[in-house]
Formats: sequence, C-alpha cells, structure tokens
Amino acid sequence: MASHGVARASGPRTEEQRKLDLDKIDRYRSLEDQVRQKVSFHRTICALSMHPASPGLSRRAHQLDGPGRANESTPQAANQSFGDETFQLTSKLLRINPEYYTVWNVRRRCLISGLLSGPLPGSSPSKALPSSSATDTPTTSSDASLASSSKKTQQLPDSQTTGNNGTTPESWAGDLDTIKSELAFTIPLLMEFPKCYWIWEYRLWILDQAIERLPVSTSRRIWEEELGLVSKMLHRDTRNFHAWGYRRHVVTKLESSTLNGSSMTEPEFAYTTSKINADLSNFSAWHSRSQLIPRLLNERKSDQAARKDFLEKELNLVREGLNVGPEDQSLWFYHQYLITNILETPGDQTIAPELTDEERKAYIESEIIEIKDLLEDYEDIKWIYEALLEYTLAIHKLTKTAPSSQQDLSSWLGKLRTLDPMRSGRWSDLEKQWSQA
Amino acid sequence: MPATSQPSELPTLATDVHVSYIQSLDTKKDELDYWLTEHLRLNGLYWGLTALHLLNRPDALPGQETIDFVLSCQHDNGGFGAAPGHDAHMLSTVSAVQILAMADGFDDLETKGKGKQQVGNYIANLQNRETGTFSGDEWGEEDTRFLYGALNALSLLGLLSLADVDKAVSYVVSCTNHDGGYGVRPGAESHSGQIFTCVATLAIAQRLDLVDKEKLGRWLSERQVPCGGLNGRPEKQEDVCYSWWVLSSLKIIDLVHWIDREALIRFILSCQDKESGGISDRPNNRVDVWHTCFGLAGLSLLGYPDMETVDPVYCMPKPVIKRILG
Repeated sequence: MASHGVARASGPRTEEQRKLDLDKIDRYRSLEDQVRQKVSFHRTICALSMHPASPGLSRRAHQLDGPGRANESTPQAANQSFGDETFQLTSKLLRINPEYYTVWNVRRRCLISGLLSGPLPGSSPSKALPSSSATDTPTTSSDASLASSSKKTQQLPDSQTTGNNGTTPESWAGDLDTIKSELAFTIPLLMEFPKCYWIWEYRLWILDQAIERLPVSTSRRIWEEELGLVSKMLHRDTRNFHAWGYRRHVVTKLESSTLNGSSMTEPEFAYTTSKINADLSNFSAWHSRSQLIPRLLNERKSDQAARKDFLEKELNLVREGLNVGPEDQSLWFYHQYLITNILETPGDQTIAPELTDEERKAYIESEIIEIKDLLEDYEDIKWIYEALLEYTLAIHKLTKTAPSSQQDLSSWLGKLRTLDPMRSGRWSDLEKQWSQA
Repeated sequence: MPATSQPSELPTLATDVHVSYIQSLDTKKDELDYWLTEHLRLNGLYWGLTALHLLNRPDALPGQETIDFVLSCQHDNGGFGAAPGHDAHMLSTVSAVQILAMADGFDDLETKGKGKQQVGNYIANLQNRETGTFSGDEWGEEDTRFLYGALNALSLLGLLSLADVDKAVSYVVSCTNHDGGYGVRPGAESHSGQIFTCVATLAIAQRLDLVDKEKLGRWLSERQVPCGGLNGRPEKQEDVCYSWWVLSSLKIIDLVHWIDREALIRFILSCQDKESGGISDRPNNRVDVWHTCFGLAGLSLLGYPDMETVDPVYCMPKPVIKRILG
C-alpha cells in the first residue's frame, strides 16, 4: 500500500496477466482461509469455555501466570488450532506476505501452545497466551502487565545444564532446535524485506524465548550470532535504521547480567570507526558514535587531560573528513555536536566538562581558522559559511561581546543567501538574531 | 541549485481524478496487492478519508458503510484489528478512532460498538507504566509511533487521563538527540517520521517548551533537497511522505518559512498521476493511498488554494479537530 521506488505501470494489464493475478489471489486466499479456519475453531471453543455460566473457567482463563492459557483452559482447542499443521501454514503464508502481523501472532501461539516446551524452572511467568482475536477475551487490567512482561526475563543459572534443578539437557534440546529453526526461517525474509518491522520484531521475540527457555551460556551464544547477522545487514544497507536499532538492542542484551554480559562500548565504538572509514557520509554511524562517547570516557575513567585529548582527536577525524567532503551534512552535524560539547556542559554527557571559558574560546577559534582554510579549495559550499557564521556568533555569546567584524558576518550571510536560497527564511531569522545580539 | 521562488504559475492539483482514485481503491479485488495489503485496511481507510476531506470531498465515501466497516474490525477488548479477522493493534486502533472522528461515528461506537471507554482502556493498558512508552500490542514492540498514536486517539476520545502523560513526556524527552531530533527509542538516530511522532506528542501534552526549536528546525530544514522534495534523514532520497513528517513538525514549531514553500509544492504536484489519480513517492513512480494522503496533507499545510486546512498535530481536517476538541 505504500510503494517506494516502483515505476508507474505503462498501461493496463492484459487479460492473460489478469488471469495470472486471479490465480495467485485464489492460492493466497485459500491459504489464508485455512489459517483462519484453524484459528476460528479455537475461538469458538474458547468462547464456549469462557461462557459466563462457568465463572471458574472464565476466571482461570484470565490468570496470566500459567504456561499457556489455551493449554490450561482448552487444551483440545489449542492443539487443534495451534498445532503443527497451522504452524506449517503460517510458514507458507508468511513467505508470501511477511507483513501479515496476525499470522506472525498465530505462529507465536503455535510455539507457545506446544511446539516449544514450557519455560525452564525459575524463568519468569510471562508466557501466558496473550489475548487477542484468537481468544477475544474482555480486556482486564492485567493486559498491561502482560504487554510489558514479554520483555521481562530472568536469568537462568548455568547450573541447569547440569541438571541441578532437575532439568536435563534433553529437556531443552528440542527448544534449542525450534529456536534455531525459527531464526533460520526469518533470514531469507529479512534479506528480501529488510525494512519490514514485523520480521525484526518476531526475531527478537524468538531471541527472548531463548533467554527464557535455554541455559544462559546457550542463549548467549545465540544472541552473539545476531551481531554477525546485523553486520551483514548493515553491509548491504549501511543506513537501515531497523538494523542499527536492532544492533543497539542486541548489544544491550549481550551487555546485561541476564546473559552474563559486560560492557561492549569499546568494540562498538571501534565498529563505528570502521563504518565511518568505509563511508564518511554514514550519518547513522556518526550518530551511534556520539551516543557511545559519554559511556566510553566514563568506562575508560578518562581524566580531564585524556578527555581533552579525545576531543582533539575527534575534531581531527571530522576535519579530515571535511577536507575531502565539505558538502557532506553528516560531517557537519557531527562537527556541530563537538562544538556544542565545547560550548555547553550538559552534565555527564560532555566530553570535556571542565574547560575554562578561555579554553572553549581557543578551541572554537582554532576550528574557525581550519574552516576558513577550506575556503581556499571550496568556495561554493554553503555549510562552510554557515559554520563560520554560527561559530563566530557562538564565541561572542560565550565572551558576551559584540561581533567585532560585522563585515565578515555580512559577507558570509550574503554567501548563504546566494548559495542556499531555499532556506532564505532561516538566513533572515539568523540575521535578526545577530542584529539583536 | 535551481532557481527558487520564481513567481510563475504553479502546476494544478488534479482533484477530480484523485477523488476517483480513492473511491476506486476498494474495487480492486482482482489485484493481488489488494489482498496482500489487508493488514493495512483501516490505515488505508484513514489515509483515503483524510485525503478526501482535504480535497473538500468528505462525502465521496459512504459514511455509514465506513462506520460499520470500522466497527466490524473491533474486538471485545476494545482494540481494532486492521480488518475483520486481524488481531487488534495500536496502529489500526488509532486509525479506527481517527476515522470515527471524521465520519462522526462516536455515537455508533457507543451504541453498536464496544464504546469509547473500552477503546481507551485497550490503548491505556498498552502503556509501559515504568518508562511511559507504549507497545503496539500485547507482544511488546515499543516505538514512539505507538506512543504518539496512543495520545492522539486518547485525546480524541476525551480519555487522555487514562494514560500517564507525564511519563510519556519524559520518555519522549529521553529520545532527544544532540541534533535536536528524536528517534524511535532512546539512543536511536533522528528520523523525520519519529520526529513528527515525538513533537506532535509534546504538542498534545502541551509541552512544546521541551523542544529545542532552533536546533530541530535547522535539522528539519536541511531535509529539503535541490529538487524541492524533502528526505527523512541526511543523505537520503526525497520522498513525498516526508512532505508531511518534516513539514508538520516545522509547522508545530512555527518554522515552515525555513524551507522553500513553492519548490515543495512543485515537487508534490510533480508526483501526481494526472491520468489515473493518486500521488507517488517520486515523479513517475507507482501511486498509493499513503503517499496520496501525505502529499495532499503537505499541500494543505503549505496553503495550497481551495483545500481544507489540515491540523499539523493530528493529520486530520482542522474543522473536525475543532468540533471534537473544541
């Protein structure tokens, strides 16, 4: 329904094309009907068992602490509706249409209702079968806790692999196979539909099942392998924001105590360096870098000297980029980020928080000189004039002095108006701001 | 750089074919795409109906049928699925509320549906009471799209008090980036679509004081590329839908004049299919109702003549918002 980059058709379909389409529609809808019949069978049984005449059953159906509501209240319905046959149908349907979120939900229900064994003892009780069309139960206040509980996971001690809790490797070996096979199922779909939210989300849900159902060391290995996948996705499309978000999520999980993790700030920072070296215009990588820096410096326990050194290295890095690509807005936004850091001290987010005003001024002045040097090679890049204007005004704001050379400011503003007439309203506002200063 | 703002005549908006195009959408049952996009049916109806309102043709779809279809997608728990037989989800629930608001169907919701209160409960129960953000459904995906949708729909229903608005606001603030923009979750890169959801959320919560307007306006204004269109992130291609996400955000912070109005109008109009109707992402590409809606909403926001005024926070006709919110 939202087409991107697809050329407009040159004319109407031929009768033959139309027939082919109708065949495809028939096959698709018949598959869809089969899934719906399975699910609606379950709905009917559930509705019967939750009839107000049997309040006990109804109440039990709302208890969300069981391993699966359908299993508990209507095992027959669950087995018939969410068994292997339905599961296979969802595979077929999702390969054709991975945007069909309800079918992903049916697939989840199949796994919860029997294809996965119960969570390991000690795991969080979050895997009750959620309500929705498949059960059509009235909302209860517990729905909210359900919504958030799917993210709550508890650490399983590794001792479970040795059977201390009465759990033997065999009891989760089947789940391991299922989880691996589900992860494999989504790979070709992600490759074909890398921007489909539902596939990414389903994959994360499966990974959460690993945490709940497998010993820590095993689920950690599974999560670690995700970094390989996401690197591959980001190699194919360096700006895919689903993949960048997924990477952040995976790293956070790998760092957490749930997976016996520790900080990955250093390797992640190195990852952004490698992405930037491969492509200076990768705004996503620059962004990720800016997010990692405060943590990086804290974890390195950097003192003020080390922080200043770090700041200077970052300024050099972005300046090297500007020397070859001064029209690249990713670089300028990163440069502005560093300048903001020099000018302001927003708490622990600052790179070098203890700069004196004199030092701040010196840093900015030195940047202004470097940027002026760019003018020797590049006269017609508006970003250069914008930076000169903005950083010069920033110095005056910092030192609480009036701009000494109105001439420079006027000439840069004139250049901005000529080179970038689209944003003329902005340049007028900037002029007002400076004339009021 | 192309010359801009030349006082020459603008291309025309092909209103009649756009209306026919939207009317025809539900008749394309012999096309596979019609079936493959059923998971977007209620969203599609919202996009289509909004487009018709903005074209000043609100009655081009049958009102009662529209309301009845929406109500047929409702579940007992109050939430709406994308179509009958689809699971309830925040995205379709928000569209349902928006359609009912436009079609004046809140009374039917009470008498034939499960009632406002139940819809409000469904939405409010998806709030993560620890962090303030919202999930899309019971499976737990969180995204500022859902947070905005929740506040949008709850405020239209007059049930904003069911949510913890202060927590929601804090969550939005935690998604702020150093470039002034907002991401899908804390730490995520600024993205124009997400910026709209966050800024519009703050507008509904009456907390626009928390936005760094100068920084955000600067980043947003740089989304305009030489052809006049807007992109969603730095170094990306232009796309008509950002005529909404970027422009509405600029409107909310009162900085629309930081981009070239006429160049954007020309770009949107150049993406029309003047023969068969509809608007596409870029010129000569295949049209769809999503780009048609957001292209028209962009034109309305830019004051294109003879269009209904769009509300930048709700992406709905202003008179409807006025009727409901007063």
